[in-house]
Amino acid sequence: MSKIDSVPGAQTSKNRVILLAIFIGLIVGVYIVHLFSMQVIQTQKYKERATVISQRTIDIPAKRGEIFDRHADVPLVRNVDSFQIDFNPADVPPGQVPLVLSKLAVLLKTPYTDLDTRVPLSSYPIYQNIELRKGVDYQTIASVAERLNELPGVSWRSTPIRDYIDNGSLAHVIGYVGNITQDELQVLYNQGYGIHSVIGKNGIEKKFDMILRGKDGTRFRTVDVNGRSVDSPRTAEIAPIPGHDIVLTIDRTYQKIAQEALGPRNGSVVILRPSTGEILAMVSYPYYDANVFYTDHAATEFDRLQTDPAFPFLNRAIQSAYPAGSVFKLVMTTAALGENVIDPKKKIFCGPSYKLAGQVFREHIPNGFGWIDLATALADSADVYYYQLGEEYLGIDKIDNYSKKFGLGQITGIDLPGEVQGLVPTPKWKERVLNYPWLGGDTVNLSIGQGYLQVTPLQMADVAAMIINNGKIYRPYVVKEILDPITKKVVEETKPELEYEMKLPDKVWSEVRADMRGVITRGTADVVVTTHATEVAGKTGTAEDGAKGSSNHSWFVSYAPYNETDPSKQIVVVVQVERTNRWEWWAPKAANIIFQAIFGHQTYEQAVKELHPWYM
Amino acid sequence: MLNEETPKTVLQFDPFLLIPVIALMTIGVLFIFSSGVNSSGVIVSDEYKRQLFWVGLALILMLTFSYVSYNVLKDFSFYIFLLFMVLLVLTLIFGKVVNGARAWLGVFGLGGQPSEFTKIATILLLARFLKQHQANIKKLSVIFRAVGILLIPMFLILRQPDTGTTLVFIPLFLFMLFVAGAKVRHILYVALTGFLAIVIALYPSIEAMVLHQDNGLGTLLTSLNLVGVVALSFMLISVLSWLGWKKYKSTVLYWCLYFFSLAFFALLVGTLLRHVLKDYQVMRFIVFLNPSIDPRGSGWNLLQSMTAIGSGGLTGKGFLAGTQSHYRFLPMQSTDFIFSILGEEWGFWGGLLVFGFYGLLLGRLLWIMYHIKDVYGILVIGGFVAVFATHLFINVGMTIGIMPVTGIPLYFMSYGGSSLIAASIAVGIAMNIYNRRFMY
Repeated sequence: MSKIDSVPGAQTSKNRVILLAIFIGLIVGVYIVHLFSMQVIQTQKYKERATVISQRTIDIPAKRGEIFDRHADVPLVRNVDSFQIDFNPADVPPGQVPLVLSKLAVLLKTPYTDLDTRVPLSSYPIYQNIELRKGVDYQTIASVAERLNELPGVSWRSTPIRDYIDNGSLAHVIGYVGNITQDELQVLYNQGYGIHSVIGKNGIEKKFDMILRGKDGTRFRTVDVNGRSVDSPRTAEIAPIPGHDIVLTIDRTYQKIAQEALGPRNGSVVILRPSTGEILAMVSYPYYDANVFYTDHAATEFDRLQTDPAFPFLNRAIQSAYPAGSVFKLVMTTAALGENVIDPKKKIFCGPSYKLAGQVFREHIPNGFGWIDLATALADSADVYYYQLGEEYLGIDKIDNYSKKFGLGQITGIDLPGEVQGLVPTPKWKERVLNYPWLGGDTVNLSIGQGYLQVTPLQMADVAAMIINNGKIYRPYVVKEILDPITKKVVEETKPELEYEMKLPDKVWSEVRADMRGVITRGTADVVVTTHATEVAGKTGTAEDGAKGSSNHSWFVSYAPYNETDPSKQIVVVVQVERTNRWEWWAPKAANIIFQAIFGHQTYEQAVKELHPWYM
Repeated sequence: MLNEETPKTVLQFDPFLLIPVIALMTIGVLFIFSSGVNSSGVIVSDEYKRQLFWVGLALILMLTFSYVSYNVLKDFSFYIFLLFMVLLVLTLIFGKVVNGARAWLGVFGLGGQPSEFTKIATILLLARFLKQHQANIKKLSVIFRAVGILLIPMFLILRQPDTGTTLVFIPLFLFMLFVAGAKVRHILYVALTGFLAIVIALYPSIEAMVLHQDNGLGTLLTSLNLVGVVALSFMLISVLSWLGWKKYKSTVLYWCLYFFSLAFFALLVGTLLRHVLKDYQVMRFIVFLNPSIDPRGSGWNLLQSMTAIGSGGLTGKGFLAGTQSHYRFLPMQSTDFIFSILGEEWGFWGGLLVFGFYGLLLGRLLWIMYHIKDVYGILVIGGFVAVFATHLFINVGMTIGIMPVTGIPLYFMSYGGSSLIAASIAVGIAMNIYNRRFMY
């Protein structure tokens, strides 16, 4: 090696080595400062983050509130202990998964393949619970617990299910619960719901979900990155808060009577206490059994109900609007008297038909009623009288005005979800929606509750309530009280709430009531309303819908007792039987049985036996 | 030459090199052990046992290389380099995939990652090349030829694909050029070209994922036609400037040539790079620029590591008492993220200890460079210093969030035989150079 090699630039090299040493030293310095900043100055921030990351929470489900009828004695809905069996294949020693599953299958009394298909081979190495079986009872869990040492990877958790005890037609009012959907969660996320929440899907369960559900508790646990629980002294718990119980206004004996009186006919019955707005019974046929949603074939059952052409999920009392037909004549009569457009004693001629602008509107009997007054017109449901009253005496604006004051075309405000508002047609509405001017014929049609008019059975119950209450409608409701789940004390009580008020002389109301009584004593309903248990007043209705020749809706809007000074003893009964049924004019017939049973303090069978009606 | 066989200091191991190396190895084994203990206190990994074996082997090899004259290595440096290039090609074909890169080569479970040893081989060859051309070191042509040597292993390793290891060659080269006495503007030329090339390769992704705006540059860079036109015009300007500078020796034309050719090469290499880089490699840079882009995905490692270190505090949570590590939130805690578990359990003092020993090691190597006369020795140790320092800064930097997550080991501490043995051999060679300092 020659010396020349190392001589040139040697000094430069040495200077550069020093420069490099300084350069490296500076970077080391920067790193140390950064480390100091992270570990000493900002350490608290990272410490907090560390706890957040390594702690996960498990929800402890809160006990959902129970639901009672107005007597608050036996629950209509309760919670049943039920367990879900989970299986974690990663906890099982290699190759032993089939052995564990076959042992478990024996304990669960189920074929091995049932369990095996739920645990695919690909899931073996994954540390994640697989849901093996739902709705396992306590005894089975106890037998599994005894053998737990032979069953690695098997665990269970409590998932209480709702038991809708023999509710029959209460399904629509009470509703049911189910797992929260993605859409629901997006709306409710900030209100304490999570992805595993169970939520009311219909009826009271839905509307009062927040009150019934209580507040889930939380169990904190420390986990590793795979979600595996780690034994840790930091495990802590926040106890769940049980949901409140709900007492309904429903009287389960009334409900049963109404359900049986309606029978297997598509339609609905509403029994309302006019002095408060309490719903005593609400039946919609067909109904469904919510308990099937907690069985193993829930999905198929749900699909079957969903696609059933009779729409069993529909609460026809509030979620379906129909042409009112002749029961609308109650509104017309009130308007005639209230507006004083016609002397009620004045007899006008009612021929077999009424002609307007070349159009012919027929009477429902071939020869017409001749010379009749208002009371007779309502009793016999004389269409031609109301054609003239509507077209020549009142006019569309007054009819619309009174309809609105009766609450038609607007929601009743009942505390159940999904209520529809129906429709009161106005000239403005027709022009806007149908793009066609209002004609005299439209007024004529509306005068007998036909045409575009759509009302719900509950709205008609409210119409009757207003007549009984001298112009007052109280908001209808089904939740009477909310109870503390532990002490069973009343936490909140629903107070009657005046919703619609029409200021007319009491004389007008009593005259309408008298005319309604006439319907029973000397009018269309005299042959069917045969009960002597009470004095019934009401109005029948036969509403045409759609195509000619098809069957008609049958309505009966009624109340009893007719002459009662204590309004809290009165009830409104509205029966609506859809035209989809065989025509048998069933609405007044059902009401007859209902009044007999309620006021005779009888069961449906006893009432039928006592009435011994000609039509059965 | 006579006294080459009888250097008195041959068996005297430089304690200033030996002590930090053994200390770092010991800390490494301790935390590899810690990383293998699960939250219930059960030892679930025997990596620490294997690491102990590697440590033994590494120390033996270190002492062996400290004894065998480095002149032998110098003489055979070309063949050694050639051997490793062949091994890298074989790795690409037959290699086993380790952490997403086809980097491991061997038979019957016996083997290693050739890329780790390629760094030494490249340093040995570059040092010889630079020493041979030291008289002309100020000429750009020498540098270009050196770049030629450098690009071969870089390309082969990038194909594995192991971005981290590939990037280490850049500081290694710049460092050696600097020590060899190259002009600073030439070094800057290489550095700037490399930097610009990386920016050009990544810019379209950065624009889309970090800046959230389209200022047209990304589109320009991804259109091969446009890039071709721009590159061609840069080249044309460069050639014209070069011809003009040859004739007139104008300074303006010199800098014209300097920058336009730089831009040309950067555009060329950058575009090539963009087509070689895998999506996840790009993603790591993106996540480094904005870790919150993907907190459960690529950003996870970074966030977990920073959380672990930051929550360690001044004194740490205590050996085996780290929560992030033992609950397995930390990824790859025995290899790339070993500094995180150390930072969590030993806190700031532990980090300082590691920097202290590294400081001692690097300081001693620089001290040797300063005190020996043999240029080849200086250049070789310079390369080692560059590699050690780069690994330290990139590895620790990524665990504390000031460097992108590029999986390169922390020498002497991370679990793994290849990197440990390669680094130890490097120290052995450095010891050998120091021991023979009086022969020149």
